[in-house]
Amino acid sequence: MPNHTHHTHHSQPAPFVATCPDCEIERSSESATELVAFYRRHHGHTGHDIVVTRADLEFGAALDAADGVAAVVDGLDARYGVDKHDSTESGTAGVPIGIVVAAMSERGFTVGETLEEIADVRMTGALYEPRDDHLAAF
Amino acid sequence: MPYSMTRWNNGLDEVEQVSADITDETNALPARYFTDPAVHEMEKEKVFGRYWVYAGHANCIPEAGDYFTRTIGDREIIVLRNHDGDIQAFYNVCAHRGSAIVEETPMTDPDNARRIQCPYHLWTYDLDGDLASTPRSFEEARLNPDLNDEDVPDLDAEENSLMEVHSDRIGPFVFVNFADDPMSLAEQAGKLKSELESLPLAEYELAQRIVSEVECNWKVFGGNYSECDHCQANHQDWVTDLELLDSELEVNDYHWVLHYKHREDVDDEMRIHDEHEAQFHYFWPNFTVNMYGTADGYGTYIIDPIDEERFQLVADYYFKDPELTDEEERFIRTSRQLQEEDFELVERQQRGLTSGAIAQAQLGPNEHTVHKLHRLAQTAYEA
Repeated sequence: MPNHTHHTHHSQPAPFVATCPDCEIERSSESATELVAFYRRHHGHTGHDIVVTRADLEFGAALDAADGVAAVVDGLDARYGVDKHDSTESGTAGVPIGIVVAAMSERGFTVGETLEEIADVRMTGALYEPRDDHLAAF
Repeated sequence: MPYSMTRWNNGLDEVEQVSADITDETNALPARYFTDPAVHEMEKEKVFGRYWVYAGHANCIPEAGDYFTRTIGDREIIVLRNHDGDIQAFYNVCAHRGSAIVEETPMTDPDNARRIQCPYHLWTYDLDGDLASTPRSFEEARLNPDLNDEDVPDLDAEENSLMEVHSDRIGPFVFVNFADDPMSLAEQAGKLKSELESLPLAEYELAQRIVSEVECNWKVFGGNYSECDHCQANHQDWVTDLELLDSELEVNDYHWVLHYKHREDVDDEMRIHDEHEAQFHYFWPNFTVNMYGTADGYGTYIIDPIDEERFQLVADYYFKDPELTDEEERFIRTSRQLQEEDFELVERQQRGLTSGAIAQAQLGPNEHTVHKLHRLAQTAYEA
């Protein structure tokens, strides 16, 4: 089943909310990664970027505001990358890409800008995907 | 007249195929077709792989080499204008080793290319899809000690072209069909083709695209769009200007039209059609043309499935000038209000369907357009 919610169904605010400034369309979800899926679908039809407007991160505030995406991934790995069921022999299952996007949004990055930054840094070898849509720093 | 009875999931009731007779109690598609992930997968082939599906608007790619991409089900295509001024569609797949060639390029932000080149090994295609060139490493075998250069076969341009997808147009609307030997677009469209081609649709430009994600099966929204029995109670602002009781719901083979008479007539300049009414055309499986009769322009919807319980509504608005006037922005805002009112209804219906109580709902006698939608879905599933 898809992991998503909609604001009309829940009295409690969802932990993750994103909006398209061009369309004024909002998407809320229990999953930060769903916001990335939302961006990919929406961008595919419109070319529009998406802004995260709410992100309840358990560990985001502890990061240095000046960190780049590789440092953000490294900082989040201790909290979000450890998954005993999914972790690889190297010890990390990776940080969900949605969590990285949410953390970068607090540094002023849109979803599209963060994904572009991730792609650029991956091409330098400093980030890798231990599994799909999860990031680890090298 | 026998009474109608809803079929519940109570261990006693049984579901049946959608009856051709709308007065039968089994006149609706069983509920699982709106909630089952396997149905969503099946529809990629049996619905979106076999019927003519809207790809986009020709005015967005006016020059040779202009192109956009579109994903229908799992199929990604390139829609481009060739050097003859015609529009063709190709799978976005290289004939060499199957790589996707171009990046996702929405119709709202089209790109232009003199030729289509795969970035992997630089196989390059003309705008008609024919293979134009390959690097020298495909013409000689200098790295392979088992081959001589003269053993390397020539790559025929046409035999190694991009895989074309059937495409055809109704005015500026471009449709594609993935079937090997499909019925013609004219046959599927019926009178929709002549009706739309009689209108100056190509004189209008895309001014606004708004994409919403809605948490219901695409057919739930399709059904909601196709009837206005819910309008009096749920679109109260909009219906004040309509004579709902004078409305007509016209059903054709793959296309149905909702004609809504206006209570007070509107200036001719505010309509692009002759009739003093709003016209909403639904073209199976998931395309609509919306002519409100109160704006010098028109809209289209693509009802694009995401999965069995979500879809994207791709709402496009066309006006003479792509720069919106204040009045046109107000018009779009009204359209958005109608959408949000409908989203609340269809998400509510999906919640009910997903709860598992109902096995087969029932349609009312004036929901014959919805009945057509359900009948077409069943026909597609059985084909």
